[in-house]
Amino acid sequence: METFNFEGKTTEEAIKNACSQLNVNREEMEIEIIEPGSPGIFGLVGGRKAKIKVSTIKEKPAPVKEERSISDEYIALKEKGTSKEEPGPAIDENAIIIAEDILNKILELIPMENATVNAEQQNGVITMNIVGDKSGLLIGKKGKTLDALQFIVNRIVNKKLEKNIQVVVDSENYRKRREEVLVEMALRMSEKAKRLKKPMVTNLLNPHDRRTIHLALKDDDEIDTRSRGDGIFKKVLIISRK
Amino acid sequence: MKDLIAYIAKALVDKPDEVVITEIEGAQTSVIELKVAKEDLGKVIGKQGRTARAMRTVLSAASAKINKRSVLEIIE
Repeated sequence: METFNFEGKTTEEAIKNACSQLNVNREEMEIEIIEPGSPGIFGLVGGRKAKIKVSTIKEKPAPVKEERSISDEYIALKEKGTSKEEPGPAIDENAIIIAEDILNKILELIPMENATVNAEQQNGVITMNIVGDKSGLLIGKKGKTLDALQFIVNRIVNKKLEKNIQVVVDSENYRKRREEVLVEMALRMSEKAKRLKKPMVTNLLNPHDRRTIHLALKDDDEIDTRSRGDGIFKKVLIISRK
Repeated sequence: MKDLIAYIAKALVDKPDEVVITEIEGAQTSVIELKVAKEDLGKVIGKQGRTARAMRTVLSAASAKINKRSVLEIIE
């Protein structure tokens, strides 16, 4: 048995490197993850490479179970649907079904009798729209309930798939409406910041809302935006550069 | 109410069999006690209590529907 070390941006990539360089199948080697690696900030700063240790097994024994604890069911689903190299749309197909199931189950238990879920996938993001909640109960004050639902569904989906897939939960087009309100607010505040030559501060916003503000003002050369605060909710400073 | 938390909690933990939920019902308010395996405690609480907070938010929305209040207690 020989041992080699490999690197890659992700553990997945490191394993792929190992496979191609040693010219063996994944099942024929034992993989030990030395360092899981991290993408860093925007994949630029502070990224670390994933390191793995690979030992080849000469005679092919009965397939060694990998240390990873993906339930067999999902491995089977994944391997059936796609080639091992590239995660094709088949994985996402399963992910959509799983995500939809989870949200449906939660809605059923709340109980929301008349709500139905429409799920779709775009650029690796699963968007699920809840139709039929006329009361806004699922949205909550400032989208609080919707965000909570989204967070829980994300958590469960990612746990089940052992893979990070972004899931967006929407109801009655709330996310779109919220974005419009935020962009309008951002523009209004930037005007005021320019006029008064003073920084303006928003109230506490979640990461997605802050992103909306930053993006709304990114093309304005006279305005700088910065997040301030600790924790998940931060304020956004809208600063006039002049 | 109990089933809702049971479903969410069981889906989040590694040991779903060790999830125990008791509901103490009152006239207006009911208290839902959630007990999980020690290793799973962090999974139902989350970073900065984010998962616990999300569960409480969904729970209060569900309770508001039947004009009640519910409190979620995670028991160590």
